Amino acid sequence: MKTFAPLLHSYWYLFRGAGMTLLMASAAVVPATLLGVLLALVQVFGRRAARSAVLAYLFIMRGIPLLVLLTFVYYLLPLTGIDLPPFWGVVLVLAFYYAAFMSEAFRAGILSLPQAQWDAAKSLGMPRYLMLRIVIFPQALRLAAPPFISLCVNLVKATSLVSIVGLWELTMASREVVERTLAPFQIFLGAAFLYFCICYALALYGKYLERRALVGH
Amino acid sequence: MENTLNDALSLATDPPVVQQRPMLAMSGIAKWFGANQVLKGVSLTVAKGEAVVVIGPSGSGKTTLLRCINLLEDYEDGIVAVDGEPIGYFVDARGKRQRMGERDLAAAREHVGIVFQSYNLFPHMTVLQNIVAAPIRVRGIPRAKAEARARDLLAMVGLTDKEQAYPVRLSGGQQQRVAIARALAMDPKIMLFDEVTSALDPELVGEVLAAMQQLARDGMTMIVVTHEMSFARDVADRVVFMDGGLIVEEGKPEQMFTAPRTDRVRQFLKRYNDRYRL
Repeated sequence: MKTFAPLLHSYWYLFRGAGMTLLMASAAVVPATLLGVLLALVQVFGRRAARSAVLAYLFIMRGIPLLVLLTFVYYLLPLTGIDLPPFWGVVLVLAFYYAAFMSEAFRAGILSLPQAQWDAAKSLGMPRYLMLRIVIFPQALRLAAPPFISLCVNLVKATSLVSIVGLWELTMASREVVERTLAPFQIFLGAAFLYFCICYALALYGKYLERRALVGH
Repeated sequence: MENTLNDALSLATDPPVVQQRPMLAMSGIAKWFGANQVLKGVSLTVAKGEAVVVIGPSGSGKTTLLRCINLLEDYEDGIVAVDGEPIGYFVDARGKRQRMGERDLAAAREHVGIVFQSYNLFPHMTVLQNIVAAPIRVRGIPRAKAEARARDLLAMVGLTDKEQAYPVRLSGGQQQRVAIARALAMDPKIMLFDEVTSALDPELVGEVLAAMQQLARDGMTMIVVTHEMSFARDVADRVVFMDGGLIVEEGKPEQMFTAPRTDRVRQFLKRYNDRYRL
């Protein structure tokens, strides 16, 4: 305990960093999910040109490391004259990046429903939006839930990269504390523990969602 | 447009069985799967209240024909009308064949109930929800009324105690009876049955056929694609035999099963009888 006790107030600093990490991840996950659903819908139902555009977007996002993208936008954004607070710039990059992956999870969910479900819904005279809302989505989202949750976990961990472009969050906070205390082992163990707690809670929530959605299966 | 359509129909179809407007009129339905033509210009007319059973070997186009009626399967030529109203394609003022818009198509499909071989119930909904979903959301029937009607239908198919069950908890025969109730809940003008007993255990076939027989007795217009020859014999007003994408022969069941006019039907029935004679 002797090695940890003097660092107690430093851990409090880490907690605040973890709060920032959570805030950033939460701010990014909402637009990422919405955009992901939209991209998936275009991929499945869109016209050819729209589908091609989405496909190109997916390839670009999947082909660039997040760190490169973050740095690129960090230097590019001021040149375009867009004056965005760094926090929101980073949130947008995370959202656009993860939307690409989430759309694939949703698309897989939609496509893995048997044609028979569509047939049944169509034959009952359901217009497309109704079919999607009450027949396709409830089942597709259940199928997409496991990869979606794991992407959310990834997103939380990816926020650690933003310290590169100077944003303050858990990883940045840890580095600051280490510089002061020269106790990298204890501090990064604490940071790892905090990351783990957030991600584990997410995973548990995912399991809960899955169980609840399993009604009728 | 009405005139053009009716002209087109009367040109292409056989003389109607009864004088009144047929409940279903299909004319010249042609469909290709790639280079393979699976329907070679099929025309079929079904009168109101008539139960037509379609038989024939696998791959003869029976199921495809049935699915063309409400455009679950697209087809390259021909038109269909249910109770005089076009469904899927219509002939415009200039005599050109046009595909209906999605909205009109959805509205037209309300009048055609279909029951599938694999039941196709919605697994995330209870039995009751399966039945009332479309009446409430598509036809705008108040929930209380839709549920009362659903309970009547469940009683009719003998599943009163299952309304809160999820489909996965039901046997195949029970699921299929729910599927029948779900289709009936839209008050369709015609019911289509696509090999609805083929996926069932032999001892569950009877309960589903009984529900269908009841329906025929109540005067529902229906087309039944099946391999159950005894059902065809006992329930059908007319039997249609398909082979190679064409209607080869049609007639009263007693005539068809005892004195078929074509060799193809004779051969089919003989093979069938040889297989199932105990």
